[in-house]
Amino acid sequence: MKQRVQKKPNKYIQGCKAFVLDTLTWAYILLVGYKIVYEKMIIDERYPEFSWEQPLLALYIGLAVAAILFFTKLSLGRGLFGLIKFDENEGPASQPFAWVGYLLIVLTFITGFYVSQISMKEFLSESGLEGARRIFKALFSPNWAVFEEGLFAAIETIYMAFIATAVAIPIAFVLGFFAARNLMNTNRLAFFCYNTLRAFLNISRSIEPLVWAIIFSVWVGIGPFSGMLALCIHSIASLTKQYSEQIESIDDGPIEAITATGAHPIQVVWFGVVPQIVLPYLSYTIYRWDINVRMATVIGLVGGGGIGNLLMQYQGQARWNEVGMLVILIAAIVWTMDWASSKLREALK
Amino acid sequence: MLEIKGLEKVYPNGYHALKNVSFCVPKGEFLVVIGLSGSGKSTMLRCINRLHDPTGGEVLFCGVDTSKLKGSALRKIRSEIGMIFQHFNLIPRKTVMENVLSGNLSRTGILASILGIHSPEARALAQKYIEIVGLKGKERNRADNLSGGQQQRVAIARALMQNPKILLADEPVASLDPATSHSVMQYLKKVNEELGVTVICNLHFLSLVRQYAHRVVALKGGKLIYDGKPLEINEEWFKTIYGEDAVEVTIN
Repeated sequence: MKQRVQKKPNKYIQGCKAFVLDTLTWAYILLVGYKIVYEKMIIDERYPEFSWEQPLLALYIGLAVAAILFFTKLSLGRGLFGLIKFDENEGPASQPFAWVGYLLIVLTFITGFYVSQISMKEFLSESGLEGARRIFKALFSPNWAVFEEGLFAAIETIYMAFIATAVAIPIAFVLGFFAARNLMNTNRLAFFCYNTLRAFLNISRSIEPLVWAIIFSVWVGIGPFSGMLALCIHSIASLTKQYSEQIESIDDGPIEAITATGAHPIQVVWFGVVPQIVLPYLSYTIYRWDINVRMATVIGLVGGGGIGNLLMQYQGQARWNEVGMLVILIAAIVWTMDWASSKLREALK
Repeated sequence: MLEIKGLEKVYPNGYHALKNVSFCVPKGEFLVVIGLSGSGKSTMLRCINRLHDPTGGEVLFCGVDTSKLKGSALRKIRSEIGMIFQHFNLIPRKTVMENVLSGNLSRTGILASILGIHSPEARALAQKYIEIVGLKGKERNRADNLSGGQQQRVAIARALMQNPKILLADEPVASLDPATSHSVMQYLKKVNEELGVTVICNLHFLSLVRQYAHRVVALKGGKLIYDGKPLEINEEWFKTIYGEDAVEVTIN
């Protein structure tokens, strides 16, 4: 019977974290408060200057404020890390430190409002509404002359997404085992592999497929091939992550039992792990294809081929009736894929 | 047959699960291990076939110290030690036949086993063991659709497929109802008596212990505190093993 000894978090480390959090909180409140509330709202400066001095100054003052208020009940950091004791019945939401948190949220909201340049005047202006009416009218009277052209481009998109998924499956299948913590924490070398692979996957996943498509369109030229490569890279990273998470959540029992029969580690994986993951894998894969079809459309916008490419061309020429036709086609594909993939995944359960 | 000398196990988190445990198991014995949850019973069984690695002491199985083995030598020893589990641990979505054949993996090539190729002898043997545990006609059923008791019998057949010298049973009846418990214990008894396989079994219910065990050892807090005949466990020993406030629950 495994029994875990609960490790108590070190009070001093928690305190340090709390202090850093406090400093950053106060610096943020001061900086944003000055820039947005004072410069923008009160003296209404058109083009506020940016210099590194202001954030640095805010950080120093934030440090000072955090130091002064650290041992009072207004320390958000100590509150969040559980270093402030309060009446259990009241809950943390009504504590003094929570008000600092509310101030943070309100300030962020105001800032967001200003940064997004929300303006009702422009949204409801006469010329603006006229433009909207024109484009909607064109979109809703699609030009059926481009139906055939659009359809072929759409087929290209679907096949491109399919190949991208198909190529990604075997690679992700193998990598998935190496990215699963419960299989890789047996020795140090394996754990090193696990960490390296995880870092690599996280980096490639954090680069959007759109960016990959731009990279590949320079590498292999504009067209479906660059789009397919972009989708493939992204699919490998995403599928590997999903596959490995599935492996991490399996029941250890069959692994134990197969190991106990004296089987080879490869047999342990094949008989102890694989039967437990086949169905979730299929489900993820179908869903990935569905996502890839939708993404392929977007990727086409930057030269990844398919219907997205066509859409970009007509949009550039402001031929809205043609664009309307393509939008209808895209909507039909997305809806069909969505429906088919959910039906398929349901059937697999 | 099996000799355990000064077995120690400390988990990486510092939990000391086994403290200087020593005892012998002669061939053909039905040994039962009792003790509270967390007393180290499961850990001890897993140290024998190295599902866990002991941190000290020796486990001599037919004269070989299993605690030092690695790689293929370890797999060879494991193949001679059958094991069944509280939660059966069958391969889900596979048939009874495939599950029983998985007991033969150590003697099947990796590629052959992945492709599902098994020798006719192995299939005949699997068929024989399926019949021994009374599951004739269920060969093609999916193992996870069977009842708990039937699943445990599949697990027994899988262990027998290894042609083991010893069978480890980790609380084999703890997730079964009383009637099924007895039926599974009967099969273990049959394996012990008719096939001559030595059995080491972790159990919770003393009534089952008295009925099936040749000999009993008790663990408490990782230490061996009792080694003797099942009928010699009196009220006093019971309180020592399970604590002052414990009351015996019977299962009929």
